[in-house]
Amino acid sequence: MTDGLGALTTIFTEFYYWITVVLMFLIHVGFCMYEVGASRYKHHQHTLMKNTMLIPLVTVTWFFFGWWIYWAFPTGPGLAPSIMNESAALITDDSLFSASWYVPTSNLMAVNLGDHISGVFWAAFLLFSWTAASIVSGAIIERITTFAFGILAIAIGSVFWTIDAAWGWHFDGWMLKLLGYHDAYASGVIHAIAGGFALGVLAVLGPRIGKFSSSGEPRNIGPRNPWFVAIGLFLIYTGFWGFYAACNIPIFDLGPEYGMEGVTFFTATSIYVTPTTLSGITFNFLMSLSGGLLAGYWVSKGDPFWTYSGGLAGIITASAGNDLYHPLQAMMIAALGTYIAYKMHYWVERRFKIDDAVGAVAVHGYAGVVGLIVCGFVLWGYPSSGYSVGSMWVGTDYAPINPLGMFIGAIIMFGVLGFLPGYILAKILHGAGKLRIPREVELAGLDYNIMESARKDERAVG
Amino acid sequence: MAQVTDWIKHLTTDVDAATEGIQVADIYPAVGQEWMWLTVAVVFWLWWHVGTATGESEEQQKLARRRPGTNDYKKNITEW
Repeated sequence: MTDGLGALTTIFTEFYYWITVVLMFLIHVGFCMYEVGASRYKHHQHTLMKNTMLIPLVTVTWFFFGWWIYWAFPTGPGLAPSIMNESAALITDDSLFSASWYVPTSNLMAVNLGDHISGVFWAAFLLFSWTAASIVSGAIIERITTFAFGILAIAIGSVFWTIDAAWGWHFDGWMLKLLGYHDAYASGVIHAIAGGFALGVLAVLGPRIGKFSSSGEPRNIGPRNPWFVAIGLFLIYTGFWGFYAACNIPIFDLGPEYGMEGVTFFTATSIYVTPTTLSGITFNFLMSLSGGLLAGYWVSKGDPFWTYSGGLAGIITASAGNDLYHPLQAMMIAALGTYIAYKMHYWVERRFKIDDAVGAVAVHGYAGVVGLIVCGFVLWGYPSSGYSVGSMWVGTDYAPINPLGMFIGAIIMFGVLGFLPGYILAKILHGAGKLRIPREVELAGLDYNIMESARKDERAVG
Repeated sequence: MAQVTDWIKHLTTDVDAATEGIQVADIYPAVGQEWMWLTVAVVFWLWWHVGTATGESEEQQKLARRRPGTNDYKKNITEW
């Protein structure tokens, strides 16, 4: 960083990611408000604490091992060779971007005058981790122990989503190479996996007491504070802007990167180092939000909860291909995903007696899966990576984007890395008697003790 | 523990005489003792989990034995 342009590029990139982290913090504020708004009065404070405490739990484990997993696992291991060292083993050697850089004792994981990127990039991914855990948090309110949720949050936030990010988001990921997987803004990498994980946990955890009548008919335990839900979702929308920005590299000269002799081409790129523009994704973000809101309002007959959730489901559905879609494609894809997510939510609820308190499995899981599958058709034939031209790392080509690869990718995200780990971990916690709160506590309310104490204080003070 | 005691000296001392402008980059205290800090952090982290899980379980069992009614919480709603 000794010349002016190099310094400007580095400091700009550092500041860019720093800002995305601040913006993405709003996602978590939004999730907290949204969950508290959806819960009943006697569970409010516990619901808030549960979601708040995932911040330190996931952050610390992300520092300990989560970030290392992302850099170590792109090859599977054993599924496809790395374009950096041609080995299919864990990337823990001394090659470029080796995971050895990101063990918690590395001097890059601290204040380092020679590195302006690691910390902000680590933080941007960490905020994705919080989001993944927070998605699960909403679905399981009012009956899970904080301890169990903490373990599950660490599992999804610092382990399973990180593996899928290494496989399907890293520019060296085997899913890009073998399947032609493309998921620019995380329809699958964050949302489908978190939705699948939540469904796995819910299948073991069971519904809230009273959710289903004795004949099995579901009852609507709707949001108790619609204003909190509305503001919460607006904040999530806002934070999602930061999320989109964080999924990009803001400035990159693709000429030398792709080995194009004498070519200088500065652009923003997707996380796959393929060209896109912030301008273009701004079209698509707003059009997919609109498509989701329109569909949500229509299919739910104007229900505010599902209209707001529809906006989010819309963005999530279109996110896989929003680096390349036309805005009108983004809008229609968003509307389709929202419609399917809504219908699936109620079908699964009735058929399998799944009590997803905030519709998280639908909004994130089903919409994410739809987004991946649709992306496979609409972007069929696009290169999944700029490196597939082979001029930089000869001999390691990438498959183009295709429907089958995206379908398999959706199964991996939702099922293999989402549902299965969620189900198995919940089974283990259930077996240890640590998953669900006692029935008496659920009926009395998780906040009973703290409310009783506050009441005594009030009486004493007068 | 101070890794830097004079900023001007630090920023003008090259690590490698052949490469101008490259200084010691890691400037946090106790460089080289990261394993010790990591061990302390992991122990704290495990202790926290065990402690809070035990506390949560005890508190809920105690409340469960009292068996408050479904609507009893309404008696405890305080004024803003």
